[in-house]
Amino acid sequence: MLTHHLTEATLQEYSVGALSKAMETLIACHLTVCPHCRHRAQLHDAVGGVMLDRIEPATVQTLPQNIIERASQQAELTKTKPLEDDLSSRNTNGIPRPLARLLPAPIDQLKWRTIAPGLKQFNLTNQPRKDGAFKLISAAPGLSMSEHTHKHRELTYIVCGSYSDKFGQFNAGDISDLDDDDLHEPVVDSEIPCISLIATDAPVKFSGMMGKVIQPFIGI
Amino acid sequence: MEPTLQESTKLAEQASINERMQRNLLAIASDRDETAFADFYAYFAGRVKSFLMGKGMNEDTSEELVQEIMITVWRKAQSYDPGKAAASTWLFTIARNRRIDYLRGNSRIEVELDDYMLEEDDTVVSQEASLNLIQQSSILEKTLTKLPQDQQQVMHLSYYRGLSHGDIAQWLSIPIGTVKSRIRLAMQTMRSEFSEQESE
Ligand SMILES: [Zn+2]
Repeated sequence: MLTHHLTEATLQEYSVGALSKAMETLIACHLTVCPHCRHRAQLHDAVGGVMLDRIEPATVQTLPQNIIERASQQAELTKTKPLEDDLSSRNTNGIPRPLARLLPAPIDQLKWRTIAPGLKQFNLTNQPRKDGAFKLISAAPGLSMSEHTHKHRELTYIVCGSYSDKFGQFNAGDISDLDDDDLHEPVVDSEIPCISLIATDAPVKFSGMMGKVIQPFIGI
Repeated sequence: MEPTLQESTKLAEQASINERMQRNLLAIASDRDETAFADFYAYFAGRVKSFLMGKGMNEDTSEELVQEIMITVWRKAQSYDPGKAAASTWLFTIARNRRIDYLRGNSRIEVELDDYMLEEDDTVVSQEASLNLIQQSSILEKTLTKLPQDQQQVMHLSYYRGLSHGDIAQWLSIPIGTVKSRIRLAMQTMRSEFSEQESE
């Protein structure tokens, strides 16, 4: 049973197409497992449709007949999903496809990098840290993350295991959608490591002592 | 608040256009109806172009993208489900995705409907209970025009200028939290208008 969902503001930005690919991936993971948010998302697209209706039209040069001609000249483009065969033979257990497509190996065989005792990460982007993070984090049972706030926004999707903070317990499929000023201190409370997918718009500012030490290395 | 006579007339007009556009899509899908396509194109092509240009795309690129988007309409009309979305909603998603594709060089990441992880919606909505989508669009349109000015402003900047909430905050020199709460309030109003109509 999912208890933590996407905020209205995040669904809206997803609908208009103002988010990064990393944020989209994370949102699509939650939408895969959450019919409730999929249903909510429909209203945002419907508003987009109404906004399109209400706009003052520009002048177009092309005639509709030309479109039909062009369509018949072009070969039918078939959308390929190249990773499909690969995916079915892999252990993608519990991982929605938008994320599974990005993994070079099953999740337990990824080349995790240890960044602190009990804490490992797998980077999903090569972009510079100032442009935001996109990574998997694996945190050992009982691990407590230093208290930190977020300069912009942090989205977290729980892949497996669970953690708790002042907002409640987060289980597989749940999403933590934190606004800029939210201060939190998550503690892993599952018996297995808690693996989560994290996307941020900008680096996080740690306020705790441990945070100050590890921030340069992990940047979450 | 009751709409004025003029507003009611305008809303009724829009509703009949919405219905016609839906029929057009269905005719394209079933009969490759070129007249239906021409009518759909006449109404929407200029709107899609304006929509793209409003987000900072130049005229030539916008014109080119409109063509591609309309080719998609012609080809993919079969995938339009009138029970799921209004014609304008369907077109909005195609235009949005094509724009992202163009700007980023890769597609918008979406739910894959054949994903074995997909959790099906078990709340079955009966035909009678689910509101007619044409009505839905009219309600949305009416509600949208009645939103407080500050909420309309952020909706405008988001949908028509393509700004992120962070950009809107900078643009208006207000905290990002204020932008988000205005968006939230606007959407809450529209949601509640919906459920009100549904329970009537
Ligand atoms: Zn949800």
